[in-house]
Amino acid sequence: MTEPPGPETVVVIDDDYAMRLSCAKILTKMGLRAEAFEDGARGLEGVAISRPAMVIVDLKMPGVSGMEVITRVHEIDPHMVIVVITGYATIDTAVQAMKCGAYDFLPKPFSPDELRMIVNRGLERRRLTLEAQRHEIEQSMLKRRFVTFVSHQLRTPLAAVHQYLDVLKHVDAAGDDPARRQEWLGRCLARIDELQNLIADWLTLARVEGGTLVKERVKVELGRVIAGILKTYQDSAAAEGISLESHLPEDCLFVGGDRNCLTVLFDNLITNAIKYNKPGGTVMVSGSESRGEVVVAVADTGIGIPEKYRPFLFDEFFRIKEDGAKKTGGTGLGLHISKKIVSEMGGAIEVDSVAGAGSTFWVRLPAWRAVPEPAGSPNDAQREANIDRR
Amino acid sequence: MSPKVLLIDDDSDFRAAVRSLLESHGYEVLEAASGHDGLRMVVERKPDAILLDIMMETTVEGYGITHSLKHLDEYAEFRSIPLFMTSSIEESPDERFPMSAEVELIRPDGYLSKPLDIPKLLRLLEKAVGAGRTTTA
Repeated sequence: MTEPPGPETVVVIDDDYAMRLSCAKILTKMGLRAEAFEDGARGLEGVAISRPAMVIVDLKMPGVSGMEVITRVHEIDPHMVIVVITGYATIDTAVQAMKCGAYDFLPKPFSPDELRMIVNRGLERRRLTLEAQRHEIEQSMLKRRFVTFVSHQLRTPLAAVHQYLDVLKHVDAAGDDPARRQEWLGRCLARIDELQNLIADWLTLARVEGGTLVKERVKVELGRVIAGILKTYQDSAAAEGISLESHLPEDCLFVGGDRNCLTVLFDNLITNAIKYNKPGGTVMVSGSESRGEVVVAVADTGIGIPEKYRPFLFDEFFRIKEDGAKKTGGTGLGLHISKKIVSEMGGAIEVDSVAGAGSTFWVRLPAWRAVPEPAGSPNDAQREANIDRR
Repeated sequence: MSPKVLLIDDDSDFRAAVRSLLESHGYEVLEAASGHDGLRMVVERKPDAILLDIMMETTVEGYGITHSLKHLDEYAEFRSIPLFMTSSIEESPDERFPMSAEVELIRPDGYLSKPLDIPKLLRLLEKAVGAGRTTTA
């Protein structure tokens, strides 16, 4: 369904010589390619050859009738816009033509302006239809590619586990090596964990996209949420020689949001900062509040993100294909989910990075006060109590 | 000298399992974790058979390598090495590249779905390597 380059073509079919000539003249002046035909049969031939964007056809003609032209034109291209000219301007004939698939009608006599207006409107409509169609095809292609990709992501770890077990079973008969068996079983468990993480992340994502993850908008103090996450990872990070530092002001980073989502968000950012760090490195979380906005920065001293990858960082399943990054396990969904959560809460997430030196992720969220409370929320009673006290 | 099989696959667990299996059946196993390394090893080590993953998270993907090995002049001397493509998804190349002429440019000597069926793999390799030996002898 590609449009030929150059001006759009409009075919005029009318047995009235003066009428088709003046229409063609107006259309040409509009910068369009006009073709005029004196009857339905010739007109249809012309339509089949030049595939116009629009057909303007007189309803009352000898030979092939206007109504028939409408049907036959749409057999050639269902998106061709058809405008009928009708000399006996009754609502009935116009309605009948529209039922047959005509886009609009022009009652005779009509002015050049009326013609121009209807032509512009019709062509615009066709452009939108074609655009929508292109979009639909693109979407279905994306969807197909996505399904292929996801099934690959899900099957790869399963295939690895299966292969290990199958080879163990096969080789066992010829005498086994217990150390190797232990190592392989460990790898099988690790791959199953990978699969479970992927499924968990995917479910989280499905919930965010279904609008069911960010369930509530309550007052949440981020300092406490983040301190909890840092505490969870303190020991495992220390084992890798990475220290976790927090520079969050106490009791002032209030946002309106869903506590679980905020935990998922900062958990993702902090685990990334640990995962993509270097031995002896630091993860530093800092935050501030000003002008109705809470800003939290999660900075690491890790491998950094090369500039060429940054535009894709928050894309679904995006993972950096570099040696340093590939060794770490990951689903490619964490940052995508994080961005969705931040957007749902009316905020933004950004990244600064120096390849080889570290990255900083900035989360900006509207401060609690700036969030309008939904009517009928449980806080109404509290607010009323406050008013009473004044 | 034992026949050499080159595994081109970005999944190190898959390579470890298959290596162990093939070694226990008397093959020498070479490994490459990316398409780029795989091509280099084909040239340097001249394997007797190749197992190549279709979907790798590297810049040169499976079909790119098949095309190079089967059609580019600079790899002409390696064209006869039996090349089998492996994948965990069942999508035939004809589905993936609907233009038939294009598919011909990337057709390997066979497809194996992952996880590999061990008896089938061993039969296939034995046949491929055996055939290779008789033609070169």
